[in-house]
Amino acid sequence: MTTEADHGIGEAVAARIERRWVTLSIVIVGLLVGMATYIGIHQATMPQGHVETADPKTLHLSGEFVESNLGSALETDGSVTVRAIGQQYSFTPQCVVVPSDTPVKLRATSADVVHGLLIEGTNINTMLVPGYVSELPVRFRTTGDFVMPCQEFCGVGHQGMWGKVRVVDQAEFQKLAAARRRLTCVD
Amino acid sequence: MLINKRLILAHFWLAFAVFGVALVLGAWQMFVRSPLNAWHFNPELYYRSVTAHGSIMGYVFPTLVAMGFGYAITESALEKPLIGRRWAWAGFWLVAVGAVVAMVPVSLGWASVLYTFYPPMVGNPLYYIGVVLVVVGSWIWVALMSINLAAWKRDNPDKPVPLAMFANVAGSYLWGWTAVGAALEIIFQILPVALGLRSTIDAGLARVFFSWTLHAIVYFWLIPTYIAYYSIFPRAIGGRLYSDAMARISFILFVVVAMPIGVHHLFTDPQVGAGFKFMHSVFTGLVALPTLLTVFTICASAEIASRLRGGRGAFGWVSALPWQNPIMLATAFSLVMLGFGGAGGLINMSYQLDASIHNTQWITGHFHLIFGGAIVIMYFAIAYDLWPHLTGRALESFGLMRTQLWLWFIGMIVTTFPWHYVGILGMPRRMAFYDYSNAAVSPQAFSVTMSAVGGFILLISGVLFLTVLIRGQWAASSEAGAYRFSVPLHMPARIPAALNSFGLWLALMIGLTVVNYGYPIAQLMVLKETNVPAVYVGAGR
Amino acid sequence: MSDQKLFSLRNPWFSTSVGVTVVIAVLATLAGLIWLPLAQPDLKLSGIWDAICSAAGVPRASSQAGSVQADFKTSDVVMTSEMLTRPSQVSIGRGATLAQRCAICHGPQGVSDANSPNLAGQFAAVTYKELNDFKTGARVNVIMTPFAVNMTNQDMLDVAAYYSYLPRVPRSHADAKIPAPLIVTTGAPMRNIAPCGSCHGDIDTKAGSPWLGGQSAVYIKAQLHAFASGTRRNDISQQMRNIARQMTAEEIDQVAHYYEAQP
Repeated sequence: MTTEADHGIGEAVAARIERRWVTLSIVIVGLLVGMATYIGIHQATMPQGHVETADPKTLHLSGEFVESNLGSALETDGSVTVRAIGQQYSFTPQCVVVPSDTPVKLRATSADVVHGLLIEGTNINTMLVPGYVSELPVRFRTTGDFVMPCQEFCGVGHQGMWGKVRVVDQAEFQKLAAARRRLTCVD
Repeated sequence: MLINKRLILAHFWLAFAVFGVALVLGAWQMFVRSPLNAWHFNPELYYRSVTAHGSIMGYVFPTLVAMGFGYAITESALEKPLIGRRWAWAGFWLVAVGAVVAMVPVSLGWASVLYTFYPPMVGNPLYYIGVVLVVVGSWIWVALMSINLAAWKRDNPDKPVPLAMFANVAGSYLWGWTAVGAALEIIFQILPVALGLRSTIDAGLARVFFSWTLHAIVYFWLIPTYIAYYSIFPRAIGGRLYSDAMARISFILFVVVAMPIGVHHLFTDPQVGAGFKFMHSVFTGLVALPTLLTVFTICASAEIASRLRGGRGAFGWVSALPWQNPIMLATAFSLVMLGFGGAGGLINMSYQLDASIHNTQWITGHFHLIFGGAIVIMYFAIAYDLWPHLTGRALESFGLMRTQLWLWFIGMIVTTFPWHYVGILGMPRRMAFYDYSNAAVSPQAFSVTMSAVGGFILLISGVLFLTVLIRGQWAASSEAGAYRFSVPLHMPARIPAALNSFGLWLALMIGLTVVNYGYPIAQLMVLKETNVPAVYVGAGR
Repeated sequence: MSDQKLFSLRNPWFSTSVGVTVVIAVLATLAGLIWLPLAQPDLKLSGIWDAICSAAGVPRASSQAGSVQADFKTSDVVMTSEMLTRPSQVSIGRGATLAQRCAICHGPQGVSDANSPNLAGQFAAVTYKELNDFKTGARVNVIMTPFAVNMTNQDMLDVAAYYSYLPRVPRSHADAKIPAPLIVTTGAPMRNIAPCGSCHGDIDTKAGSPWLGGQSAVYIKAQLHAFASGTRRNDISQQMRNIARQMTAEEIDQVAHYYEAQP
């Protein structure tokens, strides 16, 4: 039969065990958040640094996302800027060509509804929200062909919205860039 | 003593009826986009089904369960009839009517916008009006929970609020506040456009408003499950609850921290600054805490019950648990799925890891595992536990219950584990059709087929669940006695005001919402140039 | 029950919970708005205030500098979903008068005997856009260009309104028994081809996408080939060129004959 004293001891034991678990849980959570912060600075990708706006109605009339300005552009510092738009139901350029082992800045927006894009085989993944420009600094380590589906429901034709990315080596990209200012691998 | 049994039963029957419909749609969806399906069909049918399935499973089904369970807890824990019976029925009918008003245009293909209704895609206004009616109906329940608790506290000054009621009211306050986000989005942004009063809308702001609701709503769904863990499970297996105080702290943590973390659904969105994404990420890490506490407390409570039955050893006590008891089985399955689903959630919460799986099938697999799995299996347990007290008849088919629960667990694992895997392979979500003959997609074919098979297992389990309940209607009458909740191991006569009231916690909840959401929302509201043209969907415009 | 007040610094629950919350919120804010942005060299921030503003999400308009301009004319028309969906009777009446000139090729009821496209029942936004594009040179056609160049904006709106109001007349080629080819019902997703009906009205409508049912097969075929080769370039941001260039000649044929036979 438990006495009042036993009950009190039991309660104290239970409370002590609980406190240990709480401490451990807080430490676990702290570690996770700390890890994410550390890795974010030193190694991995971070969310885009600025919020930028663009008018979807007039993308094709003037500005950065006119048809002739879309595609991959070699910058003076050797990096590449890729400009693309998402629309119902394709990306333009439909096939994006980039060099491997080079800093690439992907800039994209939507011309109508919310789209997204991800490049399979990589962790390149972003939303395209009409009215805003998405910017992602990326780097491709290997050459090859990748598919680039739209990953957000954008209407009844969403399942047909698959683009392509072709990664070529730097020499080949330089050759292409010498001939034209904006590159795509569309046929 | 349960007085308003018809009210409570109405909520549960409607909840499980719509659940059944949505389950059939879900199984169809899994099948029709898998390699098993050779029929080339109109993709709009798929998106229509996804809209219906998501809206029912997300907005109607769990709301009705929370409301019904909430009324049952109020009467049982506070041991008095519900105050505001007529209002409660009004709330029920609002939810029922709202569900119908929403589903009619969806069934006709006029609002295939999906349950996340991301503008600038806009469908028929009746869909959104229906959703608003459902939310308003549930807000009546929120008010009643508060009113009933306040009345009891007036009559019982200085007594500890019964844990089940404390948690129930916590859940209601959380829902009341979190629903505000989607309500603002629908009422001030979407409906004016759907009704033709305006033709532009800020898609980025709409997504921010929706994210306000989108995360905490899953905690609203979760609270009945956690109430079952704390207040039903220990009693059902003949044990005691390890700690009452820790239980209260867990629910309080949900109230405070579940809210201001929604932007982790917008990690890859261009309209929110990186600083706020980080802040939400930090608080999302914190929301893992109450679940870690809960897992400990519930396992400890199980150990108590087991040792009371003669369980021995550091781990051997697990086998001495009453595994024949459906509540035991359901809780164990739920905790296993919670473990896997929670681990997946930790991955989603980190921006860096989320980048690999955002909007892939991993996300869909994740929330089906945690909601459809861990949470809903406890809804079944709640129903099994409460039914005899509501109907006055025993539920007899324990074997069938156990089979149903096993099938739900196995089905959920078979459905969601391959689903996570194809997400890692990069399979995008929300597509009506995939070309499995293509080299980029064919590695995913087998896993998708497995998920579709899992979907059918779940469908069978759902049928069994409804069978158990329906058969109960013909069972012999049996007096189940008062509906009781678990008793803690050590119950202090008095508990601190902080663990017995909500003022402080609501203040923190609202304060954190302002800190974490205030600037992003204000900034986007002020911005005029990001209002983009609405895109109306649904042929027939 | 403790008779201590809850909202008082002397209550340890209050002070601890508020204190911890405030500390975490402040640290998260400082880290998110100041420390992390400044720790990323590729953001090119000009100081703490710039870091805070960028991380908070203060918006900037995207820069326009250095855009490569096209050496051909692209469509000038701004398309929105509800454009021209509710024309006035006055506009339709004026359009009827203007359309008498169009009847030579496009038929007195907007249904052509030649292989000029049928205009009867076409979405007004579509007709308006094409007229506009003919006028600006975004789309070039030996016969249409001189007509369009002489039209005012109001003329184009009225003609478009008029034709949208005309009923689509079932064609002599109507044949309900032609099964829909796979390219129409399912498209070819990996080649970036959505089902045609996703935009062209059979399933849903995208502003600017013409209704294809009952259209001349010869005309449809010619347009798809023109998009595929890049000869026709007035599809805003290449949305039809992206599709047409991925279609095989056989698929183009199938599509053209299928839609000709639809109402």
